[in-house]
Amino acid sequence: MTAIKSETVTRRPAGHGGGATLWAGLVLIGLVLLAAVVSVFWTPFDPEGVFSDSILLPPGAEHLLGTDSFGRDVFSSILRGAQISLLVGTVAVGIAAVLGVPFGIVAGMNPGRLDQFMMRGNDISLAFPALLLAIIFGAIFGAGTVTAMVALGIGTAPAFALIARSGTMQIMSREYLQAARASGKSGLFIGLRHVLPNISGMLIVQASVSFGIAVLAEAALSYLGLGTPPPTPSWGRMLQDAQGYLFIEPLLIVWPGIAIAVAVLGFNLLGDGLRDRFDPRMQVNR
Amino acid sequence: MFASIATIMVASMALVGCSSGSTTAEGEPDTSLTVGLLATPGNLDYTTTAGAAIPQALLYNVYEGLVKLDNDGTIIPLLAESWTVSDDGLVYDFLLHDGVTFSDGSPFTAESVKFSLERVKDNWTANGPAYLDPIASIEVVSDTEARIILSKPSNSWLFNMSGPVGTMFTESALADLATAPVGTGPYTVSSFKTGDSLVLAANADYWGEVPYMTDVTLRYFTDATAQTNALLSGDINLISGISQFQLVDQFKSNTDFQVLEGASTGEVTLSMNNASDAFSDVRVRQAVMYAIDRQAVMDTANSGYGLLIGSMVPPTDPWYDESLADLYPYDPDQATELLAEAGVSDLTVAFKIPNLPYAVAGAQVVKDQLAKVGITADVTVLEFPAVWLDDVFSSHDYDMSLIMHSEPRDVNAFAAPTYYAGYDSPAVMAKFAEADAADATTYVELMKEATTTMAEEAAADWLYLQPAISLADADLLGVPKNTPSLALDLSTIAR
Repeated sequence: MTAIKSETVTRRPAGHGGGATLWAGLVLIGLVLLAAVVSVFWTPFDPEGVFSDSILLPPGAEHLLGTDSFGRDVFSSILRGAQISLLVGTVAVGIAAVLGVPFGIVAGMNPGRLDQFMMRGNDISLAFPALLLAIIFGAIFGAGTVTAMVALGIGTAPAFALIARSGTMQIMSREYLQAARASGKSGLFIGLRHVLPNISGMLIVQASVSFGIAVLAEAALSYLGLGTPPPTPSWGRMLQDAQGYLFIEPLLIVWPGIAIAVAVLGFNLLGDGLRDRFDPRMQVNR
Repeated sequence: MFASIATIMVASMALVGCSSGSTTAEGEPDTSLTVGLLATPGNLDYTTTAGAAIPQALLYNVYEGLVKLDNDGTIIPLLAESWTVSDDGLVYDFLLHDGVTFSDGSPFTAESVKFSLERVKDNWTANGPAYLDPIASIEVVSDTEARIILSKPSNSWLFNMSGPVGTMFTESALADLATAPVGTGPYTVSSFKTGDSLVLAANADYWGEVPYMTDVTLRYFTDATAQTNALLSGDINLISGISQFQLVDQFKSNTDFQVLEGASTGEVTLSMNNASDAFSDVRVRQAVMYAIDRQAVMDTANSGYGLLIGSMVPPTDPWYDESLADLYPYDPDQATELLAEAGVSDLTVAFKIPNLPYAVAGAQVVKDQLAKVGITADVTVLEFPAVWLDDVFSSHDYDMSLIMHSEPRDVNAFAAPTYYAGYDSPAVMAKFAEADAADATTYVELMKEATTTMAEEAAADWLYLQPAISLADADLLGVPKNTPSLALDLSTIAR
């Protein structure tokens, strides 16, 4: 998608773009990562139990962000919820890359009928929203974290295929690749040795953006009751639980909302920053 | 408690007659009513579509039967003026109201009774066509006299006649049941938008007393918060059966509104698959009973609203036994002992729940409490209704679930060995059969015995009875308080 816009870019020295954006992204993701790591070893309170004597307490010294309708410490839940978000993001993006990238490279290396055939198939999958796929998977295989990760992975794979293909096609016209072909190197060798390293920059950018999308999608699925099963804390389900208390304890909906926003914004800024850094020609003039 | 509810009902009904009510700018009384509901009907044909949404809107409002269930759960005459029963309990002679017509103008006679009831067996696929199985034959004695002969005495069939299966239809309007229902009731359907609203208009030719409210709109909401906001902003006048009880308190302190608390027939049930390896041993099921603090479940999942029942019988049924609520007090030590006695350790159960708010909330409390006696509950949330019905209800592929059973008098069905609970007690089934054929007093006694046995054998953990809470504008009178049947009876409401 971004490749098409090459006429409208401004030039900057390679390797120095995107400084502020990149750092902002890294800081936000760092926060989420920190929350996830810390919560593995420690949370102020048990985020999975039920405490009927501390239901719906306002934020205070003991419970930094208050407690929810189960008497759970919201701060603890937010910390633990980061684990699920990062897990779903990592696995979903991993699946998407493993499926999409080889697909795109094969299509890009074989222009003509095979490419046309593969990419039309890809277009059809691309038109099918990942979230809808995840809901269907949830209905068929039972809702759960694994189902959500697999479905989101499959659902975002076509985007990777598209990027990988367009990158591959650019690389394929380079002299050194024509030389490699002329010397009789196999397609597998060329793909792994020459193409993949050269398109890795744009794939990392895509991964970062997809990561944000996956985090958001997991939250949406859990909000619909089709993601992470209770009582494992998930930001999306915290939103759903809080919805019933919207006019009684409005802050309950604010905290997971902020957490989701921080994570998604972080990965998007990181993606933007990385894009500027890896490929300064891609900087859109805004 | 129930005497007081009855008194209030009578008092408010009496007020209907003398109150001038609120008026519009022109001085005319405001006779339009908008009701906010949650479960939306997919179509209007309850002869082929299951679920409570269609009967809630149409039964007693558009459709009528020979008898109806009043708000206290008593069977009272409707299209039948009166009836007599033979001494052997087999022959029912119904005297019908004269001059009753369906809303399309066709007359209601004993022929309609014969036609409607005989149609059930072959044409109904939902809402319990088997309820009419006791009927052997139906005779048309005259236009206003119908005789129904049973093959065996049955206490439950007349009760069931007050529900959807007892509905009177006219042959002339069967083609469009799903979109254009025609009945003898005080209202007719003037428009229906799936998922949005159902508009009812008073039937000017109604045979009985024409209802106070002439234009009633049933508006369907997707969540309880939107529903209560609509009430607060004046878009709707009444919410019948609020589902999220934390939203109730704000109305209690607001004098513009009234909060009516009554009894429903919705038993929120922690079902255990009696046929599964995990729960085939009665001691394991009893251990669960001792391990669960039902009051805590109700407090957390239902904001404390509800009634601890301990069996599948609501207080509106004559065989209700309030002592059953204390049959299994919260006692984790006793639970641990029973598990040890049964030789069970490290039990892990598949806990499959529907994605409904009360179930998701309740399941988390149950999981927490089971963990304290060493039972691990693996919670899976299934999409409701389709996936849950398929997995749990039809395939019985579960160990434990949490669902509300809302049909009235559904304990017999629950005990059937083929039902999803997998409870197999020939003795209890025999007692239910015996009860149905017995005289009225023995009926109640035997029902009580059978339901008590089910509770003792821990066929399921009936956590609590869902309250029927209605929120209404302060000036509304005669709002039905209890929900002993599936119907939302609009005919008593006035200003």
